[in-house]
Amino acid sequence: MAGFRLIELAKPFAPLLPEVELPYEKIGFDDKVVYTICAALIYVFGQFPLAGLAKNSGLEEQGSAGAVLDPIYFVRGVFAAEPKTLLEFGIFPVVSSALIMQVLAGLKLVRVNFKVRQDRELFQTSTKLFAILQYVVLANVFIFSGYYGTALSVFQIVLLNLQLAAAGLFVTLLVEVIDKGYGFASGAMAITTINIATNFAADVLGVNQILVDSEGHREAQGAVINLFQSLRSSHKTIVGGIVGAFNRDYLPNLTTSLLVIALAGAVCLLNNFRFELPIRSTRARGVNNVYPIRLLYVGGLSVLFSYVLLFYIHILAFILVQVVARNDPSSLLYKIIGGYASSNNLLYVPQFPLSLLTPPKSFIECLTRQPFTPFVFSAFMIVTGIWFAGLWQAISGASARDISVQFKDQGITLTGHREQGITKELEKIVPVASTTGAGILAILVVVGELLGLKGKGASIIVGVSGAFSLLELITAEFQQSGGQSALTQVLGVTGA
Amino acid sequence: MAKNNNQLERLAEAPVEFIKDGTAFIQKCKKPGNKDFLKIVRAVGIGFVAVGIIGYAIKLLHIPIRYLIV
Amino acid sequence: MSTPTPPGGQRTLQKRRQAQSAKDKQQKQTPASTRQAGFGGSSNSILKLYTDEANGLRVDPLVVLFLAVGFIFSVVALHVVAKITGKLF
Repeated sequence: MAGFRLIELAKPFAPLLPEVELPYEKIGFDDKVVYTICAALIYVFGQFPLAGLAKNSGLEEQGSAGAVLDPIYFVRGVFAAEPKTLLEFGIFPVVSSALIMQVLAGLKLVRVNFKVRQDRELFQTSTKLFAILQYVVLANVFIFSGYYGTALSVFQIVLLNLQLAAAGLFVTLLVEVIDKGYGFASGAMAITTINIATNFAADVLGVNQILVDSEGHREAQGAVINLFQSLRSSHKTIVGGIVGAFNRDYLPNLTTSLLVIALAGAVCLLNNFRFELPIRSTRARGVNNVYPIRLLYVGGLSVLFSYVLLFYIHILAFILVQVVARNDPSSLLYKIIGGYASSNNLLYVPQFPLSLLTPPKSFIECLTRQPFTPFVFSAFMIVTGIWFAGLWQAISGASARDISVQFKDQGITLTGHREQGITKELEKIVPVASTTGAGILAILVVVGELLGLKGKGASIIVGVSGAFSLLELITAEFQQSGGQSALTQVLGVTGA
Repeated sequence: MAKNNNQLERLAEAPVEFIKDGTAFIQKCKKPGNKDFLKIVRAVGIGFVAVGIIGYAIKLLHIPIRYLIV
Repeated sequence: MSTPTPPGGQRTLQKRRQAQSAKDKQQKQTPASTRQAGFGGSSNSILKLYTDEANGLRVDPLVVLFLAVGFIFSVVALHVVAKITGKLF
């Protein structure tokens, strides 16, 4: 083994890391549904407030001007992260470590021989280690930035560290349980999809009442519920209630909900765009069929990757501006990167030039205060998305060559092409499909985000495209299991 | 200098080429019919909202717990 | 060696095929991902991280689920303790 290999670093830690056992026998369809839903629900339940915070970290009392607020609010939706809870970073470290490691391996920057079992295991262990390491590092960045309060005792710091790291470990393990074959397909995607669905339901139909002003008025979280409530409430006129339901900016309103639904519909539509290649069997005559290649060949992964990069950029800026320079307007770092301005006592809004890569809070704000953001942000999303899609289709084992090998194994050939021509023909289609799809999806995200969805646009797009990718696998598996499932009869639809 | 220009030209051409390829591809794509589309949207929509409501029910559990402990 | 072989024909085809298959083999030799090597893992639209059973502390999936719930409840307990004792930290 010539040279140094990065994955070897994980070797000494391998015996220490928990590893979920592979199932001894094939897990039945119903069991898979139960495992998937359970894991995801435990995840949702895990969004529990951290213990040991300074007491006055509630929304109402946090009036002090110097308080450190949430700097990454616009990426939280995508990674199912909830501020000031155990899942402060959500599933981000798991997703980012998986994507980054795979991309590095694909670019041959990390040398792994995937044919050797030992190497694969090491690669997997190092991915897991990288994920947990990120949880720990991010936790400490947030602790020392003053995000959890400025005067923390040593005991509090230890406690917060323990909680965040343990939560991270459990998220990793939950993902692993699903991935190892106890649940459907991919843990990371199942969990994000279900979480995004949860947030969507809460934003539209949420009935929980939240204190909105100092007079003690409460409004429902869900936009639809809020509309009905304000029609009936005594302190508002009917017109005022309707207008308020459409444009309140402190909680989800109907405008954003409708936008989100429109985006979801657009993704549904795009997901059904496909290029159908006529194929025929080489073994049996007259068996003609089509092989579909979807326009969204890489699904929502390209958006996920762009958001991973966005997260890294903003965390790096947060470290430099907040942890190093303490968000001091006179410091050099503040001037170079741009600082943070607090908004609603809840969010930390990045200022120019960092704001160039920050989706605006509303469309009007975008035009008046961040006129360059649309260009830079959309360019960033589109370029990274397309680059990733081009790379991912080549390395993920579904490239033109892989498909043609698969065709050969199954005795399938493209109608009107020789066997040697298949790869070439597919090469004309697959990369174009994936990059075009990623480009369109990126544009969709940009449109949603520039209209002020604060991460909800991106997350619904990731969620719906994830749901489609999962649904495809689930239906395939359902048919394989012979269509016999007690659960499906009860539920009607299974975990999308 | 000429080489540099050439490269720049190629760089400028790349997006144009990309868009051309992309639109050609989309035109060749099979689009879902109205009826199919509605069916798919309904299936995915119901699934999505159902899972969302289950998840939200779990989240609602937090409210009494938070009320008790904070 | 008495007569030079005419260009084209069987041999060239054979050579071409050989070159093609050698090229294919070389490409195959360095798969870039677990799936490309043919062992499951992430596919074009699915991000699947953990497919092999590596060395480590073996745990049962049910144990993981229960421990996760237990962990969350321990945090709840921590909240309760903090509330009862008034100011713990």
